Amino acid sequence: MKKKYAWLLALSLVLSMFLAACSGGGDKDTADDSKDTADKPKVEQTLNFINGDTIPSMDPSLGTDEYAFQFLGATMEGLYRLDEKGQVSDGIATKHEVSEDGKTWTFTLREDAKWSNGDPVTANDFVYAWRRAVDPATGSEYGPYMMGGVIKNATAVNKGEVPVDQLGVKADGDFKLVVELENATPYFESLTTFGTFLPLNQKFVEEKGDTFATSADTLLSNGPFKFSNWTSTAQEWELVKNTDYWDAKTVKLEKMHYVVVKESQTAVDLYEKGEVDRAGLSSDLVDQYSTHDDYTVEPDTSVFYIKFNQTRNKALANANVRNALARAFDKQALVDEILNNGSIVANGLVPKDFVPTPDGKDFREVSGDLMKYDLDEAKKYWEKALAELGTDSVEIEFLGGDNEVSKMMNQYLANQWTTNLPGLKVTLKEVPFEQRLELDTAMDYDMQFAGWGPDFLDPYTYMNLWLTDGGNNQMGYSNPEYDKLVNETATTLATDPEARNENFLKAEKILFKDAAIAPVYQRASALLVSPKVQGVFTNPFGATYEYKWASVGAEE
Amino acid sequence: MTRYLLRRVWYMLITLFIIATFSFFLMKILPGSPLQAEDKLSEEQKAIILEKYGLNEPIPVQYAKYLGGLVKGDLGVSFKFDNTPVTTILMDRIGPSALLGFQALVVGSILGIILGLLASIFRNSPIDFSSTIIAVIGTSIPSFVFAGLLQYVFAVKLGWFPVALWGTSAHTILPTIALAIHPMATAARFTRTEMVEVLHSNYIITARAKGVSETGIILKHGLRNALIPLITVLGPMAVGLMTGSMVIEQIFAIPGIGEQFVTSVMVNDYPTIMGTTLLFAFGFIVIILIIDLLYGLIDPRIRLAGGNK
Amino acid sequence: MDKNNLNNIPKDLFVPLVRKEDTSEKISAPSRTFFQDAKRTLLGNKPAVFSMILILFIIIMSIVGPWMNDFGSDEQDLKRAKMPPRVPVLENVSWLGMDGTLSGKFQGKDVQQATAKANARFDNKEEFIDIKVLNKGDGTRNSAEVEATYRIYEAKDMKDTYFWFGSDALGRDQWTRLWEGTRVSLIIAFVAAVLDLVIGVAYGGISAFYGGRVDNVMQRIAEILVGIPNLVIILLMMLVLKPGIISIVIALSITGWIGMSRIVRGEVLKLKNQEFVLASRTLGTSNGTIIRKHLVPNISGIIIINTMFSVPGAIFFEAFLSFIGLGIVPPDASLGSLIDLGFDNLRLYPYMLVFPAIVISVLMIAFNIVGDGLRDAFDPKMHK
Repeated sequence: MKKKYAWLLALSLVLSMFLAACSGGGDKDTADDSKDTADKPKVEQTLNFINGDTIPSMDPSLGTDEYAFQFLGATMEGLYRLDEKGQVSDGIATKHEVSEDGKTWTFTLREDAKWSNGDPVTANDFVYAWRRAVDPATGSEYGPYMMGGVIKNATAVNKGEVPVDQLGVKADGDFKLVVELENATPYFESLTTFGTFLPLNQKFVEEKGDTFATSADTLLSNGPFKFSNWTSTAQEWELVKNTDYWDAKTVKLEKMHYVVVKESQTAVDLYEKGEVDRAGLSSDLVDQYSTHDDYTVEPDTSVFYIKFNQTRNKALANANVRNALARAFDKQALVDEILNNGSIVANGLVPKDFVPTPDGKDFREVSGDLMKYDLDEAKKYWEKALAELGTDSVEIEFLGGDNEVSKMMNQYLANQWTTNLPGLKVTLKEVPFEQRLELDTAMDYDMQFAGWGPDFLDPYTYMNLWLTDGGNNQMGYSNPEYDKLVNETATTLATDPEARNENFLKAEKILFKDAAIAPVYQRASALLVSPKVQGVFTNPFGATYEYKWASVGAEE
Repeated sequence: MTRYLLRRVWYMLITLFIIATFSFFLMKILPGSPLQAEDKLSEEQKAIILEKYGLNEPIPVQYAKYLGGLVKGDLGVSFKFDNTPVTTILMDRIGPSALLGFQALVVGSILGIILGLLASIFRNSPIDFSSTIIAVIGTSIPSFVFAGLLQYVFAVKLGWFPVALWGTSAHTILPTIALAIHPMATAARFTRTEMVEVLHSNYIITARAKGVSETGIILKHGLRNALIPLITVLGPMAVGLMTGSMVIEQIFAIPGIGEQFVTSVMVNDYPTIMGTTLLFAFGFIVIILIIDLLYGLIDPRIRLAGGNK
Repeated sequence: MDKNNLNNIPKDLFVPLVRKEDTSEKISAPSRTFFQDAKRTLLGNKPAVFSMILILFIIIMSIVGPWMNDFGSDEQDLKRAKMPPRVPVLENVSWLGMDGTLSGKFQGKDVQQATAKANARFDNKEEFIDIKVLNKGDGTRNSAEVEATYRIYEAKDMKDTYFWFGSDALGRDQWTRLWEGTRVSLIIAFVAAVLDLVIGVAYGGISAFYGGRVDNVMQRIAEILVGIPNLVIILLMMLVLKPGIISIVIALSITGWIGMSRIVRGEVLKLKNQEFVLASRTLGTSNGTIIRKHLVPNISGIIIINTMFSVPGAIFFEAFLSFIGLGIVPPDASLGSLIDLGFDNLRLYPYMLVFPAIVISVLMIAFNIVGDGLRDAFDPKMHK
């Protein structure tokens, strides 16, 4: 009998533990709430955000993904920083002079910039960081990509042909940085805001060795914020205001709390409960929240398109086949019904609202619609193509992403093609992003759904993709005329904005005459953003969000 | 006993070795490398990165090194998190999973035993019937459907619990329930069957004849004997928890090891996949071993001499 | 009573008993074989019979279901995406949710604002939106609430169209896809179960029947294999193989047979030393005949039971794989991939999840009940 009671007691203990746990949790929440509203008249400058994943690396030379650049942008500062209008504003550099041939840039650095350990930020920090980024021993991926062909000798250094100290960047005293470029590069100013061009404190980096940038303790900050607790596998971390930042008085935000949430639905539920201040909406959630007071659409400059690999499937080597495929799917329906998040149809390569032409119009508007959905045209091309190929059935593989929206899109596109182009059979292959990159590099695909986000503010970031030897071409496209026009913009015409623009316009027309790619849409994101989040804006490239000027406003 | 133990440990090692070998060569067949933006790299750089991860050497050498590392408890370096050893990642993630698994197992077995006990005492009554239904539904409905329902009803609609994430003990309740439903159903079914059988055995009739109280019969003579075989289903339960944790950690955004495994699979982080595989296998084998040993200790009828059951 | 009376009974009252045939040992019930007995027990088990009928119904539906309307399984039209279920006749029963309307509650500071929100949500087609005011509100944020019902079929001018189970995000008929998906899931489950059966019975049978060294070696191998968690192997296999039905079957079967082989081995070991086998052997019966006549009939019960339980297991694993994105390749559907899709639309278009979730749950429950019923049926102790 005794035993029975002991057993019941144990059980009730377990149950009461649970009850205590849930009621305890509830109490705490409400207590916090009342304190926030009643005791503190001044709003707390704290924001709570969601990150889609952990931050794999905070080493500026090794960072490759969206999150690395996001937090590099928040915790560090390069020569310049992008402001609300996407224009460069003061960073560590206060001004610069460009030589007449456009090849030598001399930056004047501010003397009051400090690292979070108290060391001053000097020109040597930039020299060290940039050399490190192209040094083959570092194994940086973005370094040689961003600097190669721009900074003098970057490619040669990276190939190990010349020593690292031959890189075209020198410190003239502590606060003057002299950069020599390979060619005149009109967009170099905007490049300097990018993560790969951030400075590094040599002493600190070398002291930390392999552990550098793997946790908050092995990082130095010279930007508006710094990490308070972060490791490369952390699921939750905080950014706090960096009081050593030269412009700390501008920074109003005291703290940003981040937590990793991958499921969009979960994120929205957290938002509804007020635990986070911003949540992205996957397209299936837009229907539900498009009438929400806090619903916003954030336009983006990433463009998504279909790559036609001309080397694997002989049908795709035929321009008529590509022309037919590129016109045979209804983009408007795709954008409205499947994406459903404010994304817009893309009928060209360079995105809308990205760069203006020299006379101040939008590049996209001037270039116009180069590849539209047009069923009749598509069918005409298709008939011609079938006749040329001498067959009445073609089978093509389509390689796409494997998240929910991609899956929908893949099935939709495949269905559109097979329905609209008789005799065409499309087989689907859906793989995760990393695997798609592998297949892309190996050129082991027929058609691929891909996208590109800009790396600097110039059409060149899109146009150089399809040069014959372009690193991202990977589809066997080659047109000497296109190559010539695009290459000229980086060499002979580099200092002539009008002529460059003409070349870009012409090149884009050639690209779509060849139907090298089929543009699909320009991305936008649907979000719920709390009205108290103020002064946060999105950058056209690099760090997605800029928080330097952010603040917390009143709730209502 | 010692001989038996030694032999079991020896088999464990062979099993682990086979899994390590199997996963190693499987990963070698697959495309994938630590090069993330491969197209942006020059040949020289690729060589340097491959060297850093030891991928430039012939496969047999890589294999030998990998096994050598395993002996020392080194699972290699993650492809995804620069310079982070796989062991660190796993150590970071094991806590929440272990806690959830433990809670689910405890809650599930206790509730399951109670349910099964009631069903066997009131055999063929509505209580028995509904307990059977609960058990069948519990084993049948996929855990992710159940988890989604719980999240929707108790967190979103009623707001009783946090919707997701990890932190306070309140955060563990819904995932624990979602995970516990399967062990609960298993335990309930098992307890009922065993109890029905035990209650018909001769010693129970004897006890009754002696005039032992009904509670005494059920708890002291019945339940104790019925629970011994329950230990055997703990193994399958633990496996069920592993499967469940992968989706439930995803749904509730819990930084656990199952979620880590699925992510690693998605991003081709092979060293982490292999490490997690080995960890799962290790845990599984150890649980089976402990169960077998416990069984021998608790049930005097079973002798572990041969190990052949 | 007076004891003496007992002695006073007249002797002529005693008549000799006529010897009759002894009926106490007569078998009055018809003689039934073991299987007839099992069948009788099973058919007497009402839940099991009902479950079998359900399973049969689902199998039949998975074959004929897709032909019952005119929609193709990959017939897309974004204009009719996410249409709610609508069934003729049943559409007049409002609480069933089969009337082809979408509804939702909307809040605002007053009725007007809430109504505006409702209209915005439902394509601004006001003439097809019925507004019911739930709460007039007092001007503060979200105090007013209206319930809006949107007659979407009318709004889209599709009065004569009926998506019985609604349509998915690409405008495909859910009814057609559900049954095709069920078919795929069932095929995977049955093929995997049959493979488990064949491999498991062969392995376990050979191991036990030949015994000695053969058994020793085969059991050592199985002992090691059983230590490998099947989930891990299945996931690794799915990574290597090209996704599709065959891969799922292979991945499921690669470890699935071990349980069966252990059970079969145990049974055969027990049987082969029993007297009737010994007798048969002594009389010179060949191995083949012993296996055929004595072993197979005696272990078939346990094999059938075990197979019955491996079918729902396979259904679950397929769903699990599709749910974490390693399963079937679209546009093909399976119950798992339909649930995965439905999950994303759970809050707003619950019908996308409800139907596949019901089918999978019913299937699994039914298989489990039939399995239980079979176990009882093959257990002589349970025979009535």
